[in-house]
Amino acid sequence: MAADELDLRLQARARRAYELGRLLAALRLAPFVLAAAGAAIACGRPFPVTCALALPLLLLSVGLAYGGGPAGRAVVPGLLAGAGALAAPLLMATVGHACFGPACMSLALPACVVGGGLAGVVIARTTVRRDADLPFVLGALAVAALTGALGCTLAGAAGVLGMLAGVVVAGAPVLVATRR
Amino acid sequence: MEGGERAELRRLMARLAGGDRAAFEPAFALLWPQVRAFAARYVAAADAEDAAQAALLRVFSRASEYDPERDALAWALGIAAWECRTLRRKRERRREGGVPPPDRPDPGESPEEAVIARDLSAAAEAVLGTLRRIDIETITAAAAGSGLRGAMFRKRLSRALGRLRIAWRARHGGR
Repeated sequence: MAADELDLRLQARARRAYELGRLLAALRLAPFVLAAAGAAIACGRPFPVTCALALPLLLLSVGLAYGGGPAGRAVVPGLLAGAGALAAPLLMATVGHACFGPACMSLALPACVVGGGLAGVVIARTTVRRDADLPFVLGALAVAALTGALGCTLAGAAGVLGMLAGVVVAGAPVLVATRR
Repeated sequence: MEGGERAELRRLMARLAGGDRAAFEPAFALLWPQVRAFAARYVAAADAEDAAQAALLRVFSRASEYDPERDALAWALGIAAWECRTLRRKRERRREGGVPPPDRPDPGESPEEAVIARDLSAAAEAVLGTLRRIDIETITAAAAGSGLRGAMFRKRLSRALGRLRIAWRARHGGR
């Protein structure tokens, strides 16, 4: 067998090793997503709703991290930013706040908005610090939104929308101001 | 490897770590000859090709862990040194009878001391692999007693040992 052919075969094996290594590295994020889903379920979120959010979050996180590039680098900041939005409404529930009917909305909805605002600030600051571009912002937003939604379903669709509004309202000015 | 090629390899490995697949082929073209030459120096000729291939596959499987602050060639050769060492030990274990391995423990050593000595030796070899070629050659020459004994050699040895200490601390802390 010619040396060139051997080198080509080795190159193909090296490429497979590289792709497998990236996939394994990306799968290291899975425990964090599962922990977020576990926390949501432990705090009383319905299992089907949590699974419906956690599965796309898992696929998105692992897929983006595997693919790499700016969007791949956005996964960890997105998870961290979303963790705040996830924790705020869940903490409300665990400290004894009523979690059904209008009484739930009185605190859970503002908690979602504040959590979303925190996520927006974290994403904006990380974007500026890393001098990142649009794919980074979009990747981080998508991951943070799904992570936060795991907790914000506590306040229903309004909670999720409130969180997203918080992300945009708090994140956009920080991004614009620090980019100048 | 020239300074320019070394810097290019560093850029390519940084791109690969970030997921840029377009950097794969040029990185492979630069790394493979280096890893093959390194393996040829550290493993018996019959095993050199196997060791080099195993090392190269390991380097690429860990490419996403590469820290762009580090020198890519030193990082890759550190992994290659570890793979060469692993392969050599595997071959020694498989060998039945024949000539005893060169790093066979002192008959006076306890099994525990022998294991500690072997682990230390493997760790030192892995750290040594992360140094520049000139440092490796200087330390190897000093250990073999074959180096020049002039002031220049002593100065070079002192600098090489300093870098070895820093590399050791970076990898193993103060141990």
